[in-house]
Amino acid sequence: MSNAIISKLKGIVGDPNVIDNPSEMAKYLKGTGKPAAVVLPGNASEVSGVVALANEENIKISVGGQVADTRDLGEGIVLIMARMNKIIEMDHQNLVAVVEPGMTHQEFIKQVEAAGLYFPPEPYAVDTSSIGGCFAIGDADSQTFKYGPTRTFLLGFEMVQPTGEIMEIGNKCIKNVSGLDFIHLAVGSKGTLGIFTKLLVKLLPMPAVKKAVVARFASLHMANATFNTIIKRNIQPDRINLISESLVKDVLPGQGHLALIDLKGFVQSSQNLANEIAAVFSLGGGTDVQIIDDDAAYENVINAWLKARQAVNHKPEQVIEFAVGPKKMPQALTQLEGIVGDLGACPGVVVEGLLGFARVLLPENADMTASAQKINKMAMSLGGNVTGLLGCQLKCEAYNDAEMWSATTEIINGLRHKFDPKGIINPGVSL
Amino acid sequence: MLSQTVINRLKEIVGENNVVTDKTGLFSYSYDGTLLSGDALGVVSPQTTEQVVELVKYLNEQNIRLVPRGAGTNESGGSIPVENCVVMNFARMNQILEIDTENYVAVVQPGVINFDLQVELEKKGCYFPPDPSSYKASTLGGNVSECSGGPKCFKYGVTRDYILGLEFVLPNGKIINTGGRNFKSEPGYDLTRILCGSEGILGFITKIIVRVIPTPVTTRTMLATYNKVEDASQTVADIVAAGIVPTTLELMDNLLINTTEDFCHAGLARDAGAVLIIEIDGYPSDMDEQVKTIGEITKKADAREFRVAQSAAEVNQIWASRRCAFGSVARVRPSYGVNDITVPRSNFPKAIEGILKVAKEFGVTIGVVAHAGDGNLHPLILFDQRDAEEVKIVHAAEQALCKMALGLGGTISGEHGIGLVKKKYLDSEFQPVAMEAFRKIKRTFDPENRVNPGKIVEV
Repeated sequence: MSNAIISKLKGIVGDPNVIDNPSEMAKYLKGTGKPAAVVLPGNASEVSGVVALANEENIKISVGGQVADTRDLGEGIVLIMARMNKIIEMDHQNLVAVVEPGMTHQEFIKQVEAAGLYFPPEPYAVDTSSIGGCFAIGDADSQTFKYGPTRTFLLGFEMVQPTGEIMEIGNKCIKNVSGLDFIHLAVGSKGTLGIFTKLLVKLLPMPAVKKAVVARFASLHMANATFNTIIKRNIQPDRINLISESLVKDVLPGQGHLALIDLKGFVQSSQNLANEIAAVFSLGGGTDVQIIDDDAAYENVINAWLKARQAVNHKPEQVIEFAVGPKKMPQALTQLEGIVGDLGACPGVVVEGLLGFARVLLPENADMTASAQKINKMAMSLGGNVTGLLGCQLKCEAYNDAEMWSATTEIINGLRHKFDPKGIINPGVSL
Repeated sequence: MLSQTVINRLKEIVGENNVVTDKTGLFSYSYDGTLLSGDALGVVSPQTTEQVVELVKYLNEQNIRLVPRGAGTNESGGSIPVENCVVMNFARMNQILEIDTENYVAVVQPGVINFDLQVELEKKGCYFPPDPSSYKASTLGGNVSECSGGPKCFKYGVTRDYILGLEFVLPNGKIINTGGRNFKSEPGYDLTRILCGSEGILGFITKIIVRVIPTPVTTRTMLATYNKVEDASQTVADIVAAGIVPTTLELMDNLLINTTEDFCHAGLARDAGAVLIIEIDGYPSDMDEQVKTIGEITKKADAREFRVAQSAAEVNQIWASRRCAFGSVARVRPSYGVNDITVPRSNFPKAIEGILKVAKEFGVTIGVVAHAGDGNLHPLILFDQRDAEEVKIVHAAEQALCKMALGLGGTISGEHGIGLVKKKYLDSEFQPVAMEAFRKIKRTFDPENRVNPGKIVEV
């Protein structure tokens, strides 16, 4: 990148906020790419300036909260939103907050809870995720059954489009069908439709109590069987998670796989449900069954889950995720064992019981494509599939429906191209 | 007019009896829940996705536009036929394909009536939360296309939140699947979400995978009666502040109390300024405390009566008024214009004030039904559509209402959609760059502008 462009960038965001020294850049980078500069904008108009310049000069940009992916970036710009990290408004009457994208997800949760309110979505990677990234990824997490996926919590935003224009959209109304729903299309678009510079977030009242019920199981199958009992008893807690021993051993000492159930709600019903769940765990072969009421102990166990989740999310190239629905998970796990071998010996397994999702972390040298095909075939036989675009592709292949696959990618790539005609933003993101 | 060749081909695709081209037959498809109307060249009623594909491809060749239609109950003009169009009527695609309550999923064709799905789900201990007031007539395809709301949104959200996946026929006749049977937003972009609420301008929904949830163990229905509307809105604010999340907070003003009483004799106090229907659900052990808190809140807000329904019959009686609210005003004047403005909850009292001001300023009669917890108001302007002068005044009043809502940080449509009726106000809500984003999306799906053209936004 020419010095002229570096000085233009400095002109936009100020000298100290452009870093082009490789050793100082390193902490902001993920991957092996060697971008020309890291830029830390302070507001939407600076972001807009950088994006407009990138369009003029045909330079690619990769965006992140604390760190950004350098894949396919070439000598491009890494745009780090970390300086834009403030809560601009906390509105108790309307149960909404306005926040800048660079605030870390955990800090946002902390501040929301300090204000006596509640934000359910979980951080994707607890140590580094930003709130902007939370909506850019737009995940469905363990608490989705009760609270809805991440998108449910976005009412609007300010965004810099990939061509540089600033767009403000949305309002504090929880019902809004005006225009096309660009607001929720943007969730999960991984920055490709624009860079969030301000988020209007829906919040909930703080539940009266938070409780967890935990147990250890010698076998994943036994633990998962108790989940079906719980669901059959018409109990829908906030989360039902199963984390294999390999993932949990470093973050929460104990023997065996961890089953974790989370209950938030009213005092009396939560206590009744906790007792019922603890009994189901004990009868189902669980050991160390505990009802956790204490705040610090509760935070500790949830944090262990978030660390395990992060460990899995940090290795996307080794993870296959599938969904079959909660009731079919026992069958799926049995059949999965036929594909990947003993689940207990696998580098990692996470089951989200209420949602019927599972994620399998495979060994580093595993043939991912072949495993994904087999797992997808298994999941499809149970009415599910491997999730994500990969799952879509595998499904189309399984149906031998090349036309559907081409129609799907045509729409997705068409949208991306309409919003980012020069392919400037996040070139490393394949949707 | 369609040529005989075209008519024959359409009949070949969907069957002799499923093509309408005579003037009398077409009339039934010329209007919707608004006062607008339009004439289609024909109406076709496919029964399968394959037929939809064939129809789309054939009519594209013939350069004839297509307008999808469910039950035509929408309040936005979204299903009004446009020039040179054939209406694709989904009424015959009305099969519930699968109900899998163990995995919390149901799969339906788009022509299934919302109520019919509810009846089947109820047998299995589940339900589908979005139930717009039109739910006895409106189709799920229509509900998805409008992203319908209803009275339960404060706790349960809108239609968008319950659609897991779609089978969708693009304007070029190709089929795509979006989403799936879970919460993952596939493929790549969350296309399901952009199709929800797209009012039929992006293509045709041919299958819907919905999320269903277990019926709540307990529900409590309460009715609070007030002398003044302001006191009812104070109650809403205080309930939210107390951390209670009711499923429903429905408000009707004095005019609606009287018109619904004339119609269904539910026993509401005719001299009351407003009534508020409050419903909570959850575990039995959590009910009493919440009912008590709500009772105290209504008392503090000077409610003259607070009643907790003691029987299913009483619950039905309370709901009867609300369900018949829109229709009941027809006894006062022959026509009514439904508005759908929504404001942030904290501005609800100001919106009520604003409505009264508009009524006075324009000399029109306005009754108010509102989903008060959502800040979603339906001011009904009563008039006579045969009186051209009055119609003009009503349109001006509607515009003033939209302006008022936007001024309060709200939206011109909370749950009915834009269609033709609100199209002219859309750019007062959205910046040019957002309007352009809508066009980009429409152009990506429908580059030749063949499907439901002219609705929401001009391209």
